[in-house]
Amino acid sequence: MELKDKLRILADSAKYDASCSSSGSNRQNKYGMGNTSISGICHSFSSDGRCISLLKILMSNCCIFNCKYCLNRRSNNIQRATFTPEEVCEITLNFYRRNYIEGLFLSSGIIKDADYTMKLLIETISLLRFKYHFNGYIHAKAIPGAKEDLVKKLGSLVDRMSANIELPTKEGLKLLAPNKKEDNVTQIMQYVKEKRNRNFVPAGQSTQMIIGGTNETDLNIMEKSFSLYQNYHLKRVFYSAYIPVNKDRLLPSLVKPPLKRENRLYQADWLLRYYNLKVSDILDEAKPNFNLLIDPKADYALRHLEEYPKEINKVNYYELLKVPGIGVTSAKRIIQSRKVFKLNFDDLKRMGVVMKRAKYFITCDNKFLINKDMLKKEFIEANLVLDNKPIIEENIGKQLSLFG
Amino acid sequence: MDRVYVYQEGFLNLLTLLKYLIANKIKPFNIKEENYEASLLEEVVDLRLSLNKNILEEIKNKLGVNVLKILYYVYLSNDNNKELIMYYFYLNALKYPDTITLRRDLKCVREALKLEKYVGSEAHKLKGFVRFKELNNKVLYAKIKATNNCLEILANHFKRRLKEEYWIIHDEARHIMAIYDKKDYYIIDDNLLKMEDNKLSKDKYEDLWLTFFKTIAIKERENKTVQRNFMPKKYWENIIEVREEK
Ligand code: SF4
Repeated sequence: MELKDKLRILADSAKYDASCSSSGSNRQNKYGMGNTSISGICHSFSSDGRCISLLKILMSNCCIFNCKYCLNRRSNNIQRATFTPEEVCEITLNFYRRNYIEGLFLSSGIIKDADYTMKLLIETISLLRFKYHFNGYIHAKAIPGAKEDLVKKLGSLVDRMSANIELPTKEGLKLLAPNKKEDNVTQIMQYVKEKRNRNFVPAGQSTQMIIGGTNETDLNIMEKSFSLYQNYHLKRVFYSAYIPVNKDRLLPSLVKPPLKRENRLYQADWLLRYYNLKVSDILDEAKPNFNLLIDPKADYALRHLEEYPKEINKVNYYELLKVPGIGVTSAKRIIQSRKVFKLNFDDLKRMGVVMKRAKYFITCDNKFLINKDMLKKEFIEANLVLDNKPIIEENIGKQLSLFG
Repeated sequence: MDRVYVYQEGFLNLLTLLKYLIANKIKPFNIKEENYEASLLEEVVDLRLSLNKNILEEIKNKLGVNVLKILYYVYLSNDNNKELIMYYFYLNALKYPDTITLRRDLKCVREALKLEKYVGSEAHKLKGFVRFKELNNKVLYAKIKATNNCLEILANHFKRRLKEEYWIIHDEARHIMAIYDKKDYYIIDDNLLKMEDNKLSKDKYEDLWLTFFKTIAIKERENKTVQRNFMPKKYWENIIEVREEK
């Protein structure tokens, strides 16, 4: 088979993995080729708007498992291919020299068994690192169930390692990926957490969950993410809107992937990681799913109106962050600048605060920007939604049940 | 008459002039490069200062490396008023050496930080968007088209990254190129080196890259608006995987 055909098959099989991040590592180029950039670099954007940073491919799309949601599952009748280690090196190095990519993201279907597959990944990446002195970014998927010394070896070669949890609950996993065991995945996570240092998975580990393949709620998903961040110090949890590649009576027959929901999960995930919010602040049993019309932070603000307004010249960093329209950058600017001079509404605008959202939730020197009588929940909510054109367009034709 | 002070091309020459103006309490109407064409109401003043070689160290020691970086990035920007912004930023940095970057109540600080960010983010994008072609003699060659003058920032980046390669990055609109000889890079005038098109051979890896690029997109998620927001069309003519579509 020609190299081009292999590349097509093995990129096609790898594309559903959401992660393409190349950040968190600063490997230097002592001799040889490549280095990494701590903030990561996107090299291109595909027509679905996703960043292309890494050459994202599978070593092989042959697999002994039969996960229901996966294109590569054993029972699918598709074209199969396996790269040789030298072929992966050739493509990686030549793409890298031309500055197409920041590095390699190598994963694989399970050929024969976990250990065999893991050894193949290790052989390939060792070649890149030692024979070709490649210092670019490498993200590898650890194969769950592989022996510990193989996990150790792979981790010492890469910048990031990940193992996918796939589904938020064990029941979901049992239903759709009966060959997979969550314990095998968390074992790898535990190991990486304990061993991580600047020579072992320096950019940390991440994982991915499929959204909308099973009927878990957003609350289930966020609780899972929160516990993963807590227990294994993951850098990122990625959410991947389920795309029906297979027909199966156990799978939902979605017409469109739940992209808005995926977006809400990313926003909420951000709140957990950077805003110090807890899952119970944004979701609970009575309201286990996100409002698709309003982002989780605005939703939080509307449900906790008694905490507002926040006085810009006084409240601390985390309180500032709770204001819709104020992000991490503008909150930091506010904190620093207000030591030097007293801020007014114009200053806020210049610091990047989105005033049309923030104005309902703040005072500056005890002054409101708008008439205080307008600060009613229904009024604010309607305005926040109406100011958000894309949402309106998406929902045209559907009933806007704002106040239900 | 409104006095326009001119400087010979180059960051150091400009800093030398700025320092002189500030030290002598001269408030310029404008500051421009020496080939500036003045209007009838303007008077061009060329002080022909000799270059102050220690100026970088001076600024670094007195005001910190961050202030120096901001001045440099503003200098690289294509803003029409960049020299005046630098003048007032420098002036205020001397006045408020410890808090200057926080003084967003001052217009010159806001403008300088905005331009710094603009140049920094364009250079960061281009670190990803530069596409090298392999010439027959194994030299890597890339053309760029940048709104701001990002060439030197890019050269510094690739000097570390592609250490063991010969490469050339060509800013056609500015008629300058960075050439790297495996030791250091040099920024030269582009007429010193003629590139002949026939040196560009057909490249098998370009073809593989196009295949990869096409394959990796998920059609159920197609979103060209987001693609264009992150990768603005103005760069597409030099990005092989999207050039055709332009
Ligand atoms: S293990 Fe499951 S998800 Fe992974 S390639 Fe095999 S079938 Fe697909």
